[in-house]
Amino acid sequence: MADSVAVHRAVAAPARRRHIGRTLTAYAFVGPALLVLCAFILYPAFYSLALSFYEWNGFTPEWGDFVGLNNYRELVRDPVFWKVALNSILFVVVRTPIEVTIAFMLALLLNQNIPGRSFLRTMFFVPVVMSLIVVTLIFQRILEPNAGFLNTFLRNVGLGAFAHPWLADTTTALPAVIFVSIWKNIGFSLVILLAGLQGLPQEVLEAARCDGANRRQLTLQVVTPLMKPIIGIATVLSVIGGLKVFDLVYIMTRGGPTYSTEVFATMLYRHAFDLNEMGIASALAVIMVLVIMGTSQLQTFLLRER
Amino acid sequence: MSPALPAAGAKAGSRFEPAYLAGWVVLLSALVVSIAPFLYLFSLSLMDNQQIFNGTLIAWPVRLANYPEAWVATKIGTLYWNSIYISGGSMIVTVAISALAGYGLGRLEFFGKAYIYALILIGLTIPIQIALIPLFVNLRWLGLMNTPLALIGPYTAFGLAFGTYIMKAFFEELPRELEEAARIDGANDFRIFWQIMLPLTRPAIATISIFLFLQNWNEFLFALTFITDSSMRTLPTGIYALISSEFYGNYGLLAAALVLFSMPVLILYFIFQQQFIEGLTAGALKH
Repeated sequence: MADSVAVHRAVAAPARRRHIGRTLTAYAFVGPALLVLCAFILYPAFYSLALSFYEWNGFTPEWGDFVGLNNYRELVRDPVFWKVALNSILFVVVRTPIEVTIAFMLALLLNQNIPGRSFLRTMFFVPVVMSLIVVTLIFQRILEPNAGFLNTFLRNVGLGAFAHPWLADTTTALPAVIFVSIWKNIGFSLVILLAGLQGLPQEVLEAARCDGANRRQLTLQVVTPLMKPIIGIATVLSVIGGLKVFDLVYIMTRGGPTYSTEVFATMLYRHAFDLNEMGIASALAVIMVLVIMGTSQLQTFLLRER
Repeated sequence: MSPALPAAGAKAGSRFEPAYLAGWVVLLSALVVSIAPFLYLFSLSLMDNQQIFNGTLIAWPVRLANYPEAWVATKIGTLYWNSIYISGGSMIVTVAISALAGYGLGRLEFFGKAYIYALILIGLTIPIQIALIPLFVNLRWLGLMNTPLALIGPYTAFGLAFGTYIMKAFFEELPRELEEAARIDGANDFRIFWQIMLPLTRPAIATISIFLFLQNWNEFLFALTFITDSSMRTLPTGIYALISSEFYGNYGLLAAALVLFSMPVLILYFIFQQQFIEGLTAGALKH
């Protein structure tokens, strides 16, 4: 009895020491990442949450008055906030299906054994790589009312009646911005979907072909169902990207005319740095996180169900 | 690349089928739509304002004067330099930290591992806007606004999730035997990491590096908020500041500046496109 305890101790002590040593080693590997994460993401996140309960102009050394949920209440009462929520929903609901559908069609075409397909894939991806400032300035020139490419083109082909100040009109500004964002992002969805297509199990496709499936049946009844999870991923990424959008809107329209293109991120920026309402801006940041995390959780859940 | 789907073009006789031709028409129109705006920009950069306001599409005769003028007016040399060391600096730090964390999470067992990994992955979905105001306030308080650190820190943090994610996946796939052999020879974890495992992850490192570099190069919101001194600006915000001042209404000059601005990114992309596209798809598909 005493013997076995002694033996147990003799074996267990170095084992435990080794175990602690290994844990320390592991933390030495993940430590720097945790440090950076805490300093630049976690600490700021809690800071924003706390600041959202204060009314602060950003200039006084102290945070100003504690106002509880007043900032949130004020946002909910602000018609601009609901306009922004609607714009963000429209942005996602219009953009994502169009983007993913066109990208999937192009991916199906590019997945064939055609000459120059890697060249085509490379070229379709150029808009994704390009800086948004370049993209938005090009489209500002294209959509410019007087000598812009689009209106000049419409006048030259006799459709001058349709010429329009696209970005200056409250009814066309949001559609124009959504169009540009689709144009910018299609390559991204395309590349993901194409990689998915190339990873499909060849045996299944071969079997379907042996059973006499023609090309349309193969695409609609075999390939598309197999691709559902990948289409889901492309959809999630597009929705999250859409909810986060800032640069595109900020540079193209600054959220105008009269808030017709304002989204969460530009509203946040306006409150923080034009209106000096750090509390309201922080409340908006918290709402953004909740909306984005909630949406991605919901989508992951829906995708798992299938 | 894996073999293509047995769809159109598989049979020799199907080349002239209507569906095959329709597919080509769709692909080529999509190509025109995605490339034409850049050609338009290039054409604008070769024109003067009079041609632009006449609605001219193709610049002729070619006017090259915009380029030297834009080069000088934008002080683009300074902007390039700022962008290079800020994007490059944060890229190097991110890769180093991600490689360490990826090894720890991919190959070692320890207490709280799953929670730490979940925490790091938060960076993939959390919007950077959550950190905007706190970082602005704290950087100002620390006197770090308008310094390279103001951007390198946040860029590193927000690139970390992607980097760690890819590195972990890569380390996990390396064979156990390598590690065991090294351990028998008396190597500790750090030596195994540095001398045996890390050199094998070169493709992953290339992918992460090029992806993060381009992402940092194009970043706008933090650069707009944390850098207000014009000599410290990076390219996107430097160009943005010029739109409303010197270049206001001078579209030929602006277009030339944008072409100059895009060149390094395009060159990098065409050299490293394989790594770049692989990085994106690996990041997206292994979720």
